[in-house]
Amino acid sequence: MEILDGLSLFNTFPLAELEVGKHFYWEIGNFQLHGQVFLTSWFVIALLIVAALAGTRNIQVQTAPKGFQNLMEYALEFIQDLAKNQIGEKEYRPWVPFIGTLFLFIFVSNWSGALVPWKLLEIPGGELAAPTNDINTTVALALLTSLAYFYAGFSKRGLGYLKKYIEPTPILLPINILEDFTKPLSLSFRLFGNILADELVVAVLVFLVPLIVPLPVMVLGLFTSAIQALIFATLAGAYIGEAIEGHGGEEHH
Amino acid sequence: MMHWTVLLATEVAETVAEEGGGLFDFDATLPLMAIQFVVLVAVLNVLFYKPLGKALDEREEFIRTKQQTARDRLAQAQTLAQKYEQELVDVRRQSQDIIASAQSEAQKIVAGKVQEAQQQVQQQREATAREIEQQKAEAFASLEGQVDALSHQILEKLLGPELVR
Repeated sequence: MEILDGLSLFNTFPLAELEVGKHFYWEIGNFQLHGQVFLTSWFVIALLIVAALAGTRNIQVQTAPKGFQNLMEYALEFIQDLAKNQIGEKEYRPWVPFIGTLFLFIFVSNWSGALVPWKLLEIPGGELAAPTNDINTTVALALLTSLAYFYAGFSKRGLGYLKKYIEPTPILLPINILEDFTKPLSLSFRLFGNILADELVVAVLVFLVPLIVPLPVMVLGLFTSAIQALIFATLAGAYIGEAIEGHGGEEHH
Repeated sequence: MMHWTVLLATEVAETVAEEGGGLFDFDATLPLMAIQFVVLVAVLNVLFYKPLGKALDEREEFIRTKQQTARDRLAQAQTLAQKYEQELVDVRRQSQDIIASAQSEAQKIVAGKVQEAQQQVQQQREATAREIEQQKAEAFASLEGQVDALSHQILEKLLGPELVR
């Protein structure tokens, strides 16, 4: 507690401040919303839409792509490759938008949290940060992923999808059911934990040594942020691919 | 430092828990964020994935057809070149044939002319020989007449005119 008192002395400096679990509440009817999450997520969404518009404003097909179109085509090809690797050549096409948007949204969110000095903008409660450092966002994305792979499984194999719960033996039934809970749980907590921890580490370091020292950690943060986006999208693709292929198909690759 | 962070986090979490906040504060943010994300997927699908994916496919198709036509044209050019070469060989052979035939014809003409000339010469020579022979015979005939007359005269002179008749 003495340490914390000492720290609160630091807190009087406007240089850095740590706020965890404080939210800027919006009330809609009986419901409460985390306003700071929505504000930054709108920023991220606007960024993505502007990038998409800039990339498709003047599509050149018969010449080599230039400028922004080139960048967006690179991004799209990266996403297509990711989906193709996880789901397979035959089925990947309808899932590109979902997996791609997962990747882009998480990636831009994470990097906006690391690169945009949100903390300079004052809001009435909490502080602006990456949307992915709020558990609601990551759980929402993870639940959507669960819905997506259930949909993929049922639309591809009908009720036969349920057979996967008793494969390879019915003894594994509880574990297989448990998997459906652990998948979104691990997805959401991995992303949430990584991003929050990264922002906390940077904040604490800035709080202790304001200059130079936090820089390597910030660079590391950029790296882990990108990796987390990639992991989330890849795992979502892997789950969808697994649901489409079934357990028998897994041994082929 | 880790220690501090944990302490700090618990401390802050404790303080905000009283105000109804915290790290694991689930509320209407979750479903709204999910809806927002689904809408984003739909919007980006229309604005980004479809047009750019179409552009990628079209470009691939474009490159493939271009490559195919280029390959076709190359093959065409090669067959044409082969054809022309064949034609060239044929024409060369033909020209050689023509030259050879012309040469042989000329040779024939020359030989014919030479023969003709030789024949003419022969004929002329024969004709001349015949004429000479004829003239010789004529000359002999006239000489014979003269010889008769002269021998008669000689006989007259030697024997006298009475005896001779």
